[in-house]
Amino acid sequence: MGAQEVWKFAPAYELPSWPHVRAPDLDARERIRYPVVVAGGGLSGLTLACDLLLRGVPVVVLDEDDTVGVRGASSRGICYAQKSLEIFARLGIYERIRAKGITWSVGRTFSGADEVYSFDLEDDSCSEQPPFINLQQFYLEWFLVDRIRELDESAIRWKTKVGRVENSGDGVVVDVETPDGTYSLEADWFVDATGANSRIRETLGLDAHASRHTDRWCISDVRFKKPLPVERWTWIDAPFNEGRGVWQHLMADAVWRLDYQMDEHADPESISKPEVAGARLREQLGPDVEFEFVWIGPYQYRDHLLDTFRVGRTIFVGDAAHVVCPFGARGGNNGIQDAGNLGWKLALVVEGSAAEALVDSYHAERHAAAVENLRVTSRTARFLAPRSAAEHRLRRAVVALARSHPFARKLANTGRMAQANDYPPSRCAPDGARSLQNVALEDGTTVMERLADGTRFNGFWIGGSDRDVASLADVARRLPLAVHAVAADGALARHLGAAAGTLVLARPDAYVAATIAAPTSGRVEAALRRALALDVET
Amino acid sequence: MRTDPNIADPDAFYEAWIAAHEGLSDAESAALDTRLVLLLANQVGDVQVLLDCIAAARRAAG
Repeated sequence: MGAQEVWKFAPAYELPSWPHVRAPDLDARERIRYPVVVAGGGLSGLTLACDLLLRGVPVVVLDEDDTVGVRGASSRGICYAQKSLEIFARLGIYERIRAKGITWSVGRTFSGADEVYSFDLEDDSCSEQPPFINLQQFYLEWFLVDRIRELDESAIRWKTKVGRVENSGDGVVVDVETPDGTYSLEADWFVDATGANSRIRETLGLDAHASRHTDRWCISDVRFKKPLPVERWTWIDAPFNEGRGVWQHLMADAVWRLDYQMDEHADPESISKPEVAGARLREQLGPDVEFEFVWIGPYQYRDHLLDTFRVGRTIFVGDAAHVVCPFGARGGNNGIQDAGNLGWKLALVVEGSAAEALVDSYHAERHAAAVENLRVTSRTARFLAPRSAAEHRLRRAVVALARSHPFARKLANTGRMAQANDYPPSRCAPDGARSLQNVALEDGTTVMERLADGTRFNGFWIGGSDRDVASLADVARRLPLAVHAVAADGALARHLGAAAGTLVLARPDAYVAATIAAPTSGRVEAALRRALALDVET
Repeated sequence: MRTDPNIADPDAFYEAWIAAHEGLSDAESAALDTRLVLLLANQVGDVQVLLDCIAAARRAAG
């Protein structure tokens, strides 16, 4: 490090803000009731609102701020996974994300100067969307707000803070504070998307079983000219960080996220001073590379998980419901995928095409996904922060063997990247449900384009004929269903390993609800009624 | 997990195992055994058998 190095900071991001508008409720004689009210304009709340509006369900979003992002240019989530990108393709903002973000699929993990293992997520992909795009979270929220405002300019109520929440039998009463005064509104369904520190959770007396981890990290988001591969690089023990972990990943606007594992007893204030963070960067980048800081932030991680994601007519999504350690991009992506799971279910229940029990399957599926994500990320956290001399010895053995023994590479764990979780069997999905990638179909459309048309199940008849499709016309008239014939040797059949003559029943969230051998209108109708919970309530 | 004798020449195995530890410090010995466990675990493969072995090893210490 030079004697008197001067640390440069990039100018602050200018984030958009939107005007607060006086709510009609303030001038109404009676409390207004809405089908769906969403509290919180973060990733999960905005994704859900956008999804519902496209399905024709009116939504009110309550957000206490009037902009996107938190703490200025600090970006929380940066990696958006294929399933999330496919959802955004359906919502109509994927092209903006692709144009602004950084597409990647290769990850490498190092110990010292040696590569321990690598992966290319493209190997398992047949989707129109790539495995991952990196983008600062506030951009994504910004694109979602723009899209929502195209659909309904007044859907988001800015500067509107949620106070008391009262669950009644068939709805929820919500008190809000605004610059124009306080009012109450009623919701058939109320969604808490207010994030990790949800006060709604507390108001309803729900314990999220929070636990704190002692592992400490410090992010430096920086811009520099040194060309580096557009890949996810992680060091288990970096020589330039006193033998601790380092993450290196590119975001939009040529900003690199460098995340350094710190001594767990380090003082957060001193490790995030520009001269201390600058010295770390100098160590990593070498003496001649010019750089400027965009943001420096120390953090410790924590986790929590609600026992139930539905309490009466209140539903919890995203960080309000679950928080996991940040490894593998399983935070924001799962909030987005909560919204993807819930949107169509609420839409069909609100319009009366499905029974209310369908909403319980949101809990059954997404709570199971959260449990799995908690397990997966906790294992990574434990690998990255050994708690004893014995644990260090086990990790050193893995790293030592990995150099020449491929099997040991599978044990090194710097994060298992988020994939669309499979869902376990539940009442509406007795065989469980498995995610379907956005593959191109022979007719020039894609799975997601098919699913974007209304809120319907899509039956893909593998190797079917027009006559086969016509045989289900009657079911398709009575229930939310569209049927298409696809080639027996086409991309969809190959992706699912589905045999000719079977019918793949795809849900609106691109999960396979059932694969029906020898489909008849009776079998398809039974499967569909089960998937809509219509067989359990009448 | 099998507990019946399965090692073809137990005395030869034990002799080689001892020989591998010769001249090593306690820390180096522990590291060697840890690498050995990993290599053997990969020969077994079956997760349930591995979990049974871990539990049996833990019990035998008490």
